Amino acid sequence: MRSVSQRQQRAAPRRAASGALAPEVGKVKRRVRKKFKLFSARGGVDRPLFYLILVLLVIGLIMLFSASYAYSYYYFDNSYHFITPQALFAVFGLVLMGLISLFDYHHLHKFAFPLFFITLGLLVAVKVLAGTSIAPILNGANRWLYIGPVNFQPSEVAKFALVLIFAHLISINYHKMGTFRYGVLPYLIILLMIAGLILVENHVSATLIILAIAAVMLFIGGVKLRWFGVAGGLAGVGILYLVLYSDKFSYALDRIKGWWYPFNPPEGVDTWQTQQSLMAIGSGQALGLGLGQSRQKYLYLPEPQNDFIFAIVCEELGFVGALVIILLFALLIWRGIVVSLNANDKFGTMLGIGITAQVGIQVILNIMVVTNSIPNTGISLPFFSYGGTSLVILLCEMGVLLSISRSSSLDKT
Amino acid sequence: MASGTTIRMWRRTLFLLVVMIGLGFGWILFNLVRLQLVEGEELRSMALDQSLQTTSLSAQRGTIYDCNGNVLAESASVWTVALEPAYIKDDDTRRTLAKGLADILDMDEEDIYALTKKDTYFTYVKRKVETSVRDEINEFLEENKIDRGVQLIEDYKRYYPYGDFLSQTLGFTGTDSQGLSGLETQYNDELSGTAGRLVTAKNAAGTDMPFEYEQKIEAQDGNNLVLTIDSNVQSILEEGLKQGIIDNDVQEGAVAVLMNVKTGAILGLAVEGSFDPNDPFTLMDEEVQKEIDALPEDEQDKAYNNALQKQWRNKAVSDTYYPGSVFKMCTGSMALEEGVVTEETRFTCTGSTTVAGETLHCWTSGHGEETFVQGLCNSCNPYFMWIGEQLGALTFFKYFDAFGFTEKTGIDLPGEGTTLYHGADMGPVELATESFGQNFSITPIHMITACAAVANGGYLVQPHLVDHIEDSDGNIVSTTDTSYRRQVISEDTSRRMVDILHTNATSGTAKNGYIAGYRICGKTGTSQKILEDNIDTSKKHYIASYCGFAPADDPEYALLIFFDEPEGDSYYGGSVAGPVFANCMSQILPYLGVEPVYTEEELSRLDTTVENVVGEGTDTAKTKLDQEGFTVIIKGDGDKVLAQSPAGGEKIPKQGTVVLYTTKESQEETVTVPDLTGLSFSQANERATNAGVQICMTGAITGNGVSQSQSIEAGEKVKQGTVITVNFVEADAVM
Repeated sequence: MRSVSQRQQRAAPRRAASGALAPEVGKVKRRVRKKFKLFSARGGVDRPLFYLILVLLVIGLIMLFSASYAYSYYYFDNSYHFITPQALFAVFGLVLMGLISLFDYHHLHKFAFPLFFITLGLLVAVKVLAGTSIAPILNGANRWLYIGPVNFQPSEVAKFALVLIFAHLISINYHKMGTFRYGVLPYLIILLMIAGLILVENHVSATLIILAIAAVMLFIGGVKLRWFGVAGGLAGVGILYLVLYSDKFSYALDRIKGWWYPFNPPEGVDTWQTQQSLMAIGSGQALGLGLGQSRQKYLYLPEPQNDFIFAIVCEELGFVGALVIILLFALLIWRGIVVSLNANDKFGTMLGIGITAQVGIQVILNIMVVTNSIPNTGISLPFFSYGGTSLVILLCEMGVLLSISRSSSLDKT
Repeated sequence: MASGTTIRMWRRTLFLLVVMIGLGFGWILFNLVRLQLVEGEELRSMALDQSLQTTSLSAQRGTIYDCNGNVLAESASVWTVALEPAYIKDDDTRRTLAKGLADILDMDEEDIYALTKKDTYFTYVKRKVETSVRDEINEFLEENKIDRGVQLIEDYKRYYPYGDFLSQTLGFTGTDSQGLSGLETQYNDELSGTAGRLVTAKNAAGTDMPFEYEQKIEAQDGNNLVLTIDSNVQSILEEGLKQGIIDNDVQEGAVAVLMNVKTGAILGLAVEGSFDPNDPFTLMDEEVQKEIDALPEDEQDKAYNNALQKQWRNKAVSDTYYPGSVFKMCTGSMALEEGVVTEETRFTCTGSTTVAGETLHCWTSGHGEETFVQGLCNSCNPYFMWIGEQLGALTFFKYFDAFGFTEKTGIDLPGEGTTLYHGADMGPVELATESFGQNFSITPIHMITACAAVANGGYLVQPHLVDHIEDSDGNIVSTTDTSYRRQVISEDTSRRMVDILHTNATSGTAKNGYIAGYRICGKTGTSQKILEDNIDTSKKHYIASYCGFAPADDPEYALLIFFDEPEGDSYYGGSVAGPVFANCMSQILPYLGVEPVYTEEELSRLDTTVENVVGEGTDTAKTKLDQEGFTVIIKGDGDKVLAQSPAGGEKIPKQGTVVLYTTKESQEETVTVPDLTGLSFSQANERATNAGVQICMTGAITGNGVSQSQSIEAGEKVKQGTVITVNFVEADAVM
């Protein structure tokens, strides 16, 4: 207790000098001081959440190394081609996560609109600069921006921008969420802009994720349920239109047949990746072939370090290992929600829900794709899939979540 | 509750959580359980199948041995040359490789160059090259520092060290070492073994994985066959048949089968008109090849194929024939067993019998009144027609069936011929003709199996060629046990038939098969051939056969000799096949350890073994030989015996002459072998004595035997006292 009073005494002269703003500044300063205590009851981060993040990150790195080993050896003559940058990014991301967790998330209010416009700018830039060295077209799609040494997908940024601006708007307009003007219109406009631009990039999976995150946030944010009914109805009409009038329908039907019969797909539908993924998963059986023992990673499963890394996890660690990892993700989601719901304001709650929703949706959709529970579409697995920028963004978001946990009313001891 | 949340938020979050966990994770878990726990095994094997590349490793085909351990067929290493074009990176290497391999393998350089450019990981260049060629290739690769791109895979080639020996029975193999005929086909599964595998893990790009996964499942070499065939017996039979074919101008080949009547083991199975299994596609008979070459081009292929089929054909098993009078041993057994006759039952042969309006002749103008024993010894057809009538079709067919003539014998050779016969509802003419062995067709193997049953107490044994099968390390895998299919006639009937057949071979129509001391039993057969479409009808076609066994007091070995279309002086079984039977058996029975037992009469003519006296003092030797009853002639005036003729251990007639040479000069004296054929026993003996040689006799030496052949050609110079084996044949009345 003595030390606290000493500090208060030292702070006293400054408070006096700051004049009218003094009490406000003092409050912030006090909060900052508390934040240095990593796990204190008030001002420390949520311990289970922190550990879950670390455990998933470590397991993710190990599995990435194992899954990418043969692939990178064959194509890059270097088994460490993927793991080295990923590990460096992980360290960098962890540092950022720590710093951000110290940062009062309330400041993010100010960033909501700027980040939104930056995102729009980036998304437009991808389209405008398509074909240049900044936004090259890779495999028939241009989703990537290469700025200096950094390359990333603006859609990754867009996810967080959407979460932030929605959290911002919902928290300040919470009591008007029942109205159309404040509860639906602004979100609709934002969503149409972001999702529309991503769809134009021909990036369907990211569009779907954005829509799903938005739906979760609006649902929890208190939008009247009938609007979901309307959205659902419109989606139904849209699908019906596609079925009746689009020439892409037979192609879609073939895709669905290919999904249903992956080992006997209709002509023109390539289910190689799904086949290889299923063989990998099946090979694992109950206990797995053992860490590093995957056979499918030897160029059979395309890009095993990316979207299909979970298939290699299943092959090497078996049903038991897969179950453990799914459980860890479930705990992370649970803990993210607990932290969010215990945040001390609606901004924190909505921000936390949005981030947790993003991770949860990606995990579920990724594993569903890998297990062929839904048709194949490109969704990466958080903490596991290769991608430095995306990992750094994820860890930054985790930093925000931890920051929210500092101010929450949770018992952290 | 924190200040920032509302009840609605909690509720809606909880709702989403339940939906997410329930549906999302639920669906995922369901699929993981299905994929990993239910379908895991299947998916894992699919994954393995696509990643493991299997190279087959040849198994060494098993060896075939005769019963004494002589190798009859064996496999030796050869090599398959293959290319791995995908690993040959530059064009210079391709050129070098193409030139080098073309030189070594004697192939076209451009052809190999084309192979090296193929977009594949494996392609054959040449198969079955010898080990020396492989060494050359290895040397070439080393010189040119080519370490990838050529594969040399071990393979095997079949060798038959004795060439055309036992060829139809052994069979031969094809390019992939698969059996194509004979025992090689019959026991292909045993002989071929299990091919091994070299399993290498390959990545999807088809290259070896950097982290080597290689599993070698060694080839399991094939099992060895140890046959019941005795090479010595087999050679005696093959030689005998060859001589018989020459002596009797036989057109369509010959068969000889020697069987152990107690076990069914076949010790020799000779088929003349054979081929070399090392080179089965070459026609052995050059005459036939010439005939084919003379044909118009479009007919050559067909003719060639027919000729091949014919030379590969195992006549003993695949060809059917009318057994003729040999079959009377079966009809006779039935009659004794059923009690329709006894040895003394009398019947009068008038030279023919009329059955249902058809007159069937005997082979002579009539044997008059005769007992059953005489009827058989005369090979009298009317007597056996009468027996058939007494038995009735039903009973006759019951025994016919019991002797195994209506089914395959089940011998372990492929392509066993199907017999043709009349059923139990046969008419009187069919019954009459079948009773003396005409009008139904069986294979030689059927006949000797039935003969064995008559001889061994009535048991129908399973004929077989493989004694046991052993693995590549020599451990016995399986043994062929003696098996009886059934008892056809009683032991008593068998005993009585043996006595009758012994009488027949001693003094009846079968006496050309007689061998002193070995108690031969036998029956001759002369049958008209089954007329095929393409046969020349301007002359009659006969099969001459002799089927017999020995010794009469405890039958052990049966031999069937069969000549197809003899066109020499005689076509009768007794005169064509009988002497060959005697010739073969006189060598085989002593070799197989059958002890001779002589009658008084035989003893007087008996041959005996002369003692070796070389090196002993002249006087001592003379005294010794005198005491044994030999006439001793001493050449030269030396003190010691330097040589003797016949040599020690040789058979000479009792009271024969032994010449002792005591000086070097005396040893050079020779005498000329006289022509001893066409004479009676006493004439032959006299002529031999005059010439200074001695004779041993085989064949029909009782009665009116006439010498037919001699073991040393007339005109040859031999030492005085040399023993010449002369074969006697009773020329008249040998059915």
